[in-house]
Amino acid sequence: MRKRHLRAGIRRPVIGVALLIMLTGCLEQSQTTVDDQGARVSGFDWGLPDHIPLPREPEDNPMTEAKFQLGRHLFYDSRLSSNGTISCSSCHHQDKAFSDGLAQASGATGERHPRNSQALVNVAWNNTLTWANPSLGTIEKQIMIPLFGDAPIEHGLNEGNHEQVLRSLQVEPEYARLFAEAFPDQSDALFSDQAWDNVVKALASFVRGLVSFDSDFDRGELSAEALRGERLFNSERLECFHCHAGYNFTDATTDRLTSFNTLLFHNTGLYNIDGLGAYPEPNTGRHEVTGNASHMGQFRAPSLRNVALTAPYNHDGSVDTLEDVIRNYAAGGRLEVASPHPGDGRMNPYKDGFIVSFSITESEIQDLVAFLESLTDQAFISNPRFSNPWPDSANKDLTP
Amino acid sequence: MIRFYVLLALLLPVTGYAHYIPKDAQLEVNASVVATWRSASLVDEYEFWQIPGTMMGGHAWPQEKGVSVDETMLSLGSRINERVFAVIEIGSHGGGGDHTDEIELQHAYLGYTCCETTGPWVLEAGKMSAVFSPSLASHAADRRVSDAPLVNDVFFGRDFHDEGVRFWWHETAGVSAGVELWRGTAYPATDTGDTNWDVFARYQWQGERLTLSGGGWFYQASAESRADHRYGGTHTHTPVAPPGVTAALFPDTRFTGDTDITGLHGAIRYNPEPYWQWGVEAELMQMDMGGMLHDSAGREASVDSEQFGVWVQPYVQWRRHTVGIRGEWLSTDNHLVGAAAPVLATDSGLANPQDHDPERYSAFWHWQWRDNLALRTEVTEDRTLPESDLRWSVGVIWSGRLWPENSGSSAGHQH
Repeated sequence: MRKRHLRAGIRRPVIGVALLIMLTGCLEQSQTTVDDQGARVSGFDWGLPDHIPLPREPEDNPMTEAKFQLGRHLFYDSRLSSNGTISCSSCHHQDKAFSDGLAQASGATGERHPRNSQALVNVAWNNTLTWANPSLGTIEKQIMIPLFGDAPIEHGLNEGNHEQVLRSLQVEPEYARLFAEAFPDQSDALFSDQAWDNVVKALASFVRGLVSFDSDFDRGELSAEALRGERLFNSERLECFHCHAGYNFTDATTDRLTSFNTLLFHNTGLYNIDGLGAYPEPNTGRHEVTGNASHMGQFRAPSLRNVALTAPYNHDGSVDTLEDVIRNYAAGGRLEVASPHPGDGRMNPYKDGFIVSFSITESEIQDLVAFLESLTDQAFISNPRFSNPWPDSANKDLTP
Repeated sequence: MIRFYVLLALLLPVTGYAHYIPKDAQLEVNASVVATWRSASLVDEYEFWQIPGTMMGGHAWPQEKGVSVDETMLSLGSRINERVFAVIEIGSHGGGGDHTDEIELQHAYLGYTCCETTGPWVLEAGKMSAVFSPSLASHAADRRVSDAPLVNDVFFGRDFHDEGVRFWWHETAGVSAGVELWRGTAYPATDTGDTNWDVFARYQWQGERLTLSGGGWFYQASAESRADHRYGGTHTHTPVAPPGVTAALFPDTRFTGDTDITGLHGAIRYNPEPYWQWGVEAELMQMDMGGMLHDSAGREASVDSEQFGVWVQPYVQWRRHTVGIRGEWLSTDNHLVGAAAPVLATDSGLANPQDHDPERYSAFWHWQWRDNLALRTEVTEDRTLPESDLRWSVGVIWSGRLWPENSGSSAGHQH
């Protein structure tokens, strides 16, 4: 009787366990499938590291190598101005990460631009262009401003001279080939009504293709100083990484993976000329476009890639060194006493919430600068692919 | 925290449970502490426990080397009058280093019983554990194995305490059934989503030597921008690691969508001889998750996921000694679509490049040394990650009634 109970007691749970183990045998092999809907497909060789997503390409101007090469020639061609004195490269020098080293540059007629020339680094990933225009979302639209804008005059093209400028391009034999290759679907891309549209698209393709992801930081080759600086950069104390976020070190980044974008602009407390937060005209930032008082002094956070090459800094080039930029942030803004625009930017009521004062030693400032210098991409500034293609530069780009 | 432990140690031990209805017009105070030494950590310091193919969260922290307090609990229950009762419980969940010390209010609810003529209906409201799954409602002190079931870790973030209302038919002729509505503060829901709810039913049959129990349940959760709060979900920075050690920032990927989980559970107990008992306990769960993954960079991808988990636990008990094993298996089938699908699959944990099937096997010996004090030793082959991990553990379980002192066991109605 006792043995029978024991046998039954063994048999029942064993059967139960066996049934359950058989059930687990029915578990299917785990798997995860991913469909990126062609997000890594492009007709252009971007030469990106695997972890960098492709930028968006306009549907009406997909990237091609031919358009990139045509745009490169146009970028360095001073005939693309009203008096043949400046090209795009006049204010965007490759050795300075396509900035110019000036606080403010002058256009073809000598008119001074109120803004600092921005570096052209990974512009393809910017969700807005220029310093503070939230409505300017494509490079194609932006390029119309330096070419045809009159406030200020940059290239100086207008209704009266654009046909003459175009004719100067049409006589260049190299362009016949380049335009034909860039726009193979058009019978006469350089002489048709679409010629200017083609110029803009080609220039945009070249600027879009200026890619920089080969710095010491990207290779993980940081010095001890730069490593300390990186920690400071990402620290709760300094808060740098909020506005200079992500792989392009700016919160104004978009790519093929992003479905929605928040357009962010920041007032960093540089000015406060009336004690009520005003910035000096005409540089009032996003406020210039929107007219909204709360947008006073708001500018797009620039990418920090190659930032060590792009001095002077801020939207008007009013800060000479990276050390001084950091000191302004450490003070929670800038106190201007003797400048033409005195005021206590630290008390600017429109200042961004992340611009709060913090303590930092001179040694830490140098560490932070070492980290920023680690973002310099030497290959980018010496890459022949981005350099002046014209063999006789005296005939083309007249700028030093 | 230390004072909390000292207070518990000084008081007389009795038994503690997750959900219960106090009996009689008296105050009951129960407590438990579970501490375990483990021979190895599941993941290294500055690394995250992320099982390939799953999204995790809640309190599902990895096991750590050394002594850790798996759980502390102090519960007060009172039968206010014939029909009304109240329960308050505070406690902590183990794992995750600093998280061990976090004491939180786990239960604070009022209950109302009625309608004896038609059946014992019970209405409860407040913050409480869910009762739809017995394993999910149990404390570490109640389990035979110190680790919570793997499927609970993955599907529910280890435990479930939420604010809600429960209405149920309570154990009449062995049958319980009811519905629970939740605010959504417990993983995998969020309180910003839609209504979260569950229905459950279970049956227990008691024979002379054989006891059978089983049940089923369905739980539906809605989440809006749900984060993995173990490591992220708030203001995060790159962790600071010693020189030479890489410390990556936890990717804060969010989920918005619905999660449906269906479960079946069962238990067999058989007493062939005095002092002998054989038994098997098991639970199966299937989860269907559909919605969007997204992050602060504006990246999105749709996700459709079906996951299945099961654990089986046969054991033999002789007098105060119980030995047994527990096998756990998990199967995941995820499909992500969208330009950002590859990166979000990786960041969320749903990527499974090696088609890894998570498994875990534990063998345990549990010795109820004294009425309120038990010792437990286990060996665990942990294959939840692609690299398997073998660890030993020795634990102490102290649980019992603090008030009234002269009561041998809890007079309340336990679950």
